[in-house]
Amino acid sequence: MGRFWRLVGAVALALFSLMVLAQEEDDPAKEAEKQKKQLLEQSGGILPSDLYVEQGEQLFKAKRGPKNASLEACDFGRGPGKLEGVVGRLPRYFFDTRRVEDLDSRIRTCMIRLQGFKPEEISRSEVVAIAFYIASLSNEQPVVVRPLMPQEKKLYELGERLFYLRAGPRDMGCATCHVTYVGKRAGVLPYSDLLKDKRAASHWPAFRYSNDQAWTMADRIRACYANLGMPAPDFYSEPIIALTLFMNVQANGARMDLPGFIR
Amino acid sequence: MKKRYTLGLLAVLLAGLTLSQPSPFQQRVQQAIQNGGSRFAESMKQDPDQALCSQYRDKLPPELVGAFLERQRALIKYPADGKLMGDWKKGEELFTNPRKGNCYACHTGDPREPGAGRMGPGLVNYGQRGTSEAVVKYTYDKIYNAWATMPCSLMYRAGYHGILTPEETAHVTAFLLDPASPVNAKR
Repeated sequence: MGRFWRLVGAVALALFSLMVLAQEEDDPAKEAEKQKKQLLEQSGGILPSDLYVEQGEQLFKAKRGPKNASLEACDFGRGPGKLEGVVGRLPRYFFDTRRVEDLDSRIRTCMIRLQGFKPEEISRSEVVAIAFYIASLSNEQPVVVRPLMPQEKKLYELGERLFYLRAGPRDMGCATCHVTYVGKRAGVLPYSDLLKDKRAASHWPAFRYSNDQAWTMADRIRACYANLGMPAPDFYSEPIIALTLFMNVQANGARMDLPGFIR
Repeated sequence: MKKRYTLGLLAVLLAGLTLSQPSPFQQRVQQAIQNGGSRFAESMKQDPDQALCSQYRDKLPPELVGAFLERQRALIKYPADGKLMGDWKKGEELFTNPRKGNCYACHTGDPREPGAGRMGPGLVNYGQRGTSEAVVKYTYDKIYNAWATMPCSLMYRAGYHGILTPEETAHVTAFLLDPASPVNAKR
């Protein structure tokens, strides 16, 4: 009799812990919230992403480069120097470069055009910090990315094609995990639903507490390809901008959470 | 007469050349992929069946399935000694090694393995199917080339891509089927 009840107890305990585990697994957003709180308590109210924002603001406003200019005249689509809400409206077509540009490539463009840096002199970590600063001024703004220009429409189609393209030694593409097998998981994280969950694309750039890194969407895309055993597309290249455009259009209407704080 | 013949031949050649050119959109896709860098572009080159799975977003029209499966079946290679079940201990190492099989990313094999994924079906007690020739061959084929049984399945074609050699495929087969493997341990 005693043994029977011990067994029942053990089974009940196992089931209970399994349920707790399952809940934790299934909601990465809640887990991130918990981690954020913890980090805030430990640091006295400062998040690592705040430091990137601060560094980015200094880089943005300082007179730098061969032309000794700041980036304050940079036009992110709402006019020179206007930064509020711009992240939710990118990628978009720019008449001056005749290209569709995302946040990263637009920062790079301004560092080249306004400050006179050569393309090979652009430091990736500086671009990321500046992206964090600009993102902080788009927090809680809506995502409004509607391809209207022919160049935007074309790049959107291209992004869609790349999103569904399966290749490489693991026969995979973005859609394999983020559409077909959404909700399942490989390793510890469930895959985000990029077509239906608007939160997925609306929290980049983000700080990742699991590896202590500041990432923009470009870093996220590159890491995805690396996970599939494929060399990543170059920074600021068309595949990255096209995929970002495709994903941001899916997030249309979402309120942005910037800079993101994720696992 | 000869002139007309030559002209006709030229016309046919020209038509063939035009038809074999990729569409403007397809060219644009290739151009964009090139823009991502040469190593990236190289890895984005598709074989014809990867291209089919992408085009139909993993849902092949029924009339294409038969030929697809046949093409994939023809790609399967077997160990020189003909043994499809190898050493389950070596199989276990290949099953968990992220650079080799990386099977546990999607499948539970040994239930004690922490962090096994759930993309694919669980494989605990897979060996209860026995080790008849048919079961062993089915298992081997599935691991070597998953698309030979399920067109456009998420599961990658580990043997076809050379991630697992035929001998290594036999080891993973043993890991799943050998009664002594932890996959089939009495619990």
